[in-house]
Amino acid sequence: MRTRVKCATPALAVLSMLLVLITAVGPAAAQGRSPIRIGEINSYSGLATVYTFPYKEGLLMAAKEINDAGGVLGRPIEFIFRDDKLKPDEAVKAARELVGQEKVDFLAGCISSGVGLAISAYAKEAKTLYFATHCQTSRLTWDDGHRYIAHTTNNVNQYVRALAKKAATLPYKKWAHISPDYEYGHNVWDEFIAYLKHLKPDIQVMQENWPKLGETDHSSYVTALLQSGADAFISSVWGAQEIAFVKQARPFGLFEKVHYISASVGNPDELEPLGKEAPVGAVTPGFAWYDDGMQKRHPKLADWVKKYTDRTKKDPTLGASWGYASAYIITEAIKRAKSAETDKVIAALSEGYEMEFPWGKVIMRGCDMQAIPPQWVGVVKMNAQGKPVLADIEETHGKDVIRSCDEVAKLRAAAADKKK
Amino acid sequence: MSGLSVGMLLFLVSVGMSLIFGVTRIVNLAHGSFYMVGAYLMVTLVEVLPDRPWAFWLALLLAPLGVAALGGVIEIGLLRLIYRRDPLMQLILTFGLILVIGTLVLLAWGPDNKSVSRPEALAGSVRVFGQPFPSYYLLVLGLAPLVAVALWLVFYRTRFGMLIRAATVDREMLGALGVNVSALYTQVFMFGSWLAGFGGALAAPTVAVALGMDSDVLTTAFVVVVIGGLGSFAGSFISALLVGLLQSFGILIFPAISIVLLFAIMAVVLIVRPWGLLGRPEE
Amino acid sequence: MRPAGWLGLVVLALAVAPLALPPFFLQLLTEIAIVGLFATAFNLLMGFGGMVSFGHAAYFALGAYAPALLVKRAGVPLLLALPAAPVVAGAGALLFGFFIVRLSHTYFAMLSLAFAQIVFTVIFKWKALTGGDDGLLDVWPPPLLKSPAAYYYFTLAVVGVSVLALRAIVDSPFGYALRSVRENPRRARFIGIDVRRHQLVAFVISGAFSGLAGGLFAFYNGSVFPDFAYFTKSFEPLVVALLGGVQSFFGPLAGAFGFKILEWLVSRQWPVYWPLFLGTIVIVVIVLLPYGFVGLVGGRPWRTRPTTRG
Repeated sequence: MRTRVKCATPALAVLSMLLVLITAVGPAAAQGRSPIRIGEINSYSGLATVYTFPYKEGLLMAAKEINDAGGVLGRPIEFIFRDDKLKPDEAVKAARELVGQEKVDFLAGCISSGVGLAISAYAKEAKTLYFATHCQTSRLTWDDGHRYIAHTTNNVNQYVRALAKKAATLPYKKWAHISPDYEYGHNVWDEFIAYLKHLKPDIQVMQENWPKLGETDHSSYVTALLQSGADAFISSVWGAQEIAFVKQARPFGLFEKVHYISASVGNPDELEPLGKEAPVGAVTPGFAWYDDGMQKRHPKLADWVKKYTDRTKKDPTLGASWGYASAYIITEAIKRAKSAETDKVIAALSEGYEMEFPWGKVIMRGCDMQAIPPQWVGVVKMNAQGKPVLADIEETHGKDVIRSCDEVAKLRAAAADKKK
Repeated sequence: MSGLSVGMLLFLVSVGMSLIFGVTRIVNLAHGSFYMVGAYLMVTLVEVLPDRPWAFWLALLLAPLGVAALGGVIEIGLLRLIYRRDPLMQLILTFGLILVIGTLVLLAWGPDNKSVSRPEALAGSVRVFGQPFPSYYLLVLGLAPLVAVALWLVFYRTRFGMLIRAATVDREMLGALGVNVSALYTQVFMFGSWLAGFGGALAAPTVAVALGMDSDVLTTAFVVVVIGGLGSFAGSFISALLVGLLQSFGILIFPAISIVLLFAIMAVVLIVRPWGLLGRPEE
Repeated sequence: MRPAGWLGLVVLALAVAPLALPPFFLQLLTEIAIVGLFATAFNLLMGFGGMVSFGHAAYFALGAYAPALLVKRAGVPLLLALPAAPVVAGAGALLFGFFIVRLSHTYFAMLSLAFAQIVFTVIFKWKALTGGDDGLLDVWPPPLLKSPAAYYYFTLAVVGVSVLALRAIVDSPFGYALRSVRENPRRARFIGIDVRRHQLVAFVISGAFSGLAGGLFAFYNGSVFPDFAYFTKSFEPLVVALLGGVQSFFGPLAGAFGFKILEWLVSRQWPVYWPLFLGTIVIVVIVLLPYGFVGLVGGRPWRTRPTTRG
């Protein structure tokens, strides 16, 4: 018995090494060089899948369109997917495999900001161009920005400022907030209050609430907000936590007494489950493709939605639009560079360009390789079928609120100083 | 006040875990998963049943039974195979179960967040001491102590309860006295699972039903059970209320360290009095 | 072939690997070596000491953050900063272990978990020092060690020396005393062994080497994040050691190898199913594991190895 265990150990080791050798030789030999290959790292297991599954569908839908139209520079694009298990170190490992073993031309992906930053650090080291396609922290292209990262979607700065811009038009002077106590929550609050004060200097901050990320019981925060004396509050609580927050706050009548501004409750992953418990009257950003006003402004939107629903049998989400846009932004950069070589593509990105999508114009800004999409802020309402939707959509463009190139340069310099 | 209701829900989950430990000496880490399955079953049942006022109550009745069945399957199919092993190995096995059940839930219900609405009659609020108080929490405050009392009656007034209490003291002797300990274990495990499922089903209208709710509740229930004393029914009750209230007020008093507060208290309890407030010291 | 022969073959294969394997596989082997060290250090406590800790991620994380902070904030070179990993982790193990070893069994495990969660929360929230959930980025080895092959050899060297050291500890009088404590603490006390002290020393050694693994990992990964201290990381050495066999000294190393390869292969094909797969592995290993821990609770005597080589 003992010897069986003992001998199993080295035998297992040698067997596995053989396996590794075989797999090492195998895929490497099978590489064709014709397609342009993009290694995409994201969270495809666990609780982030509610966001990443639609995003992936959008990405693949665009890839198919691009390939059906002849590809890029005559070559098809191919996405190779890896799961980061929501862990930054797993993402780095996947990045290493994609770059070192699969020999991809570019890296893409991330939903969690930590993962995005980790991949970015690796990309800088490996001198591989990384397109951050879903996560939203502004740090990616600003504080921690560098040559080898481009951000193909919205960043926190833009959509929070657009929200603050709308908030400034509302007649509320006394503000409170509830934000999850981690980087994203702090980021949203800082951006929001700074911009709001800039637009409306006479506002007052009455109360700050920092529940932990993933908090399940917000009752005491609700009570606190009711007693804060604020007439409006902003929430950057998101996802399942925001659903719980809304359900818990409603019976207290919070939303009737203190106006609700949210960074994310307009997203379908939150509105749909809330159903008749949705916070009617809440001001929030969102991709309201179903809205008449939106469709009038963007005539091609309905067709895009139909194509998506035909393909996936589900309605599109904001993430789906980001996946779709990202694929096109990446290929556009390659097209303009007339090459898939990293340095040339970076040069093309640095010159900047604009693209039209079914939902409006997206600008790829050259100074920081940051995408600037349209921004929408709406109000939650119940539609004729009794389902919650976003209505009264006001559209601005990210370019009207985003930090300027000079400000970005200052941010980068300040961050570099801190690192010394 | 809502801290009390949160505490009550916590009690339902924790007492099941405590009970299972008391009899089988296994810390069932999959307890959070049972809670989650209870909530998800609630979602499905409410969807499937006709849109009538009684549908909610029927779902509330059926969902925990489903979880109890799951518990039974796991106990008979898996746990029985390892009862002779070190309880820590059994604990690790339940950790494996968390991963398995979690993925199965994702595969069965999909990644989207779900929700259960409160029944019409309980969707609003009432005035308590001049402050609005959600009516649904009244249900929780009413039901949970009823369940607690029922549990107490079972433990102290029935033969089954007597066997459970005997098993927590001395399993071997119980077997020697001719009791079918193996069947008792299964019943206890199913009972504990039922409690977790009931907690999940009852809690569903107050939170989001989403992946990840298993680990959220597990960590808190774990702390509650340790503080109250593994195996102690009254300990779970008191400790659950304490933790529920602490979470509500701790937020207001020590916002910066409220996360770590629970684990710090758990650590202190383990250092000073490992068997918890009302637990029984191990030999 | 005698066990020594197998071992020699493995060492030879590892030494010439950079000639045959592409860089990614060298990196995979580097990671395997690091996890193997972590699991072996963990197993000093579990297999040889009879104490199962659910909070070893804390020491791994301390060992990752300490040299990373020294290199990034104080500009200390890697070779001087890396020793800080076992020192800081060992100090943490001493501080927490003092309380943890006074408990046994389930309570031991639970307190170790509680302390680990506290460490995680402190790292997460003390943003000024640790960077919070933004993590510490750009934590790379110096140019000399940066290439995959160079860091691979470096890691193998450090891990190799550590494993030899752990082996020496296990085979020393202290190691045998530890085993007798595991077998029967009361009898050990009777023959004059200070049970608590032995357990605490084992805890500190285990924590220190876990920290060293963390330090190696920090520079392998290029960034350090609070989730290095999260309790799910604590289960990694446990699963790896179980898989490889806690009864043998090299079991965890072999387990690291098999596990990491398996994880890589499964996760790239069926990412959604990996947690299911992992959970099933855990369940299968425990159910089918030959003696499990029965030997530890006094049921079956632990047969010590007749020879010291192997």
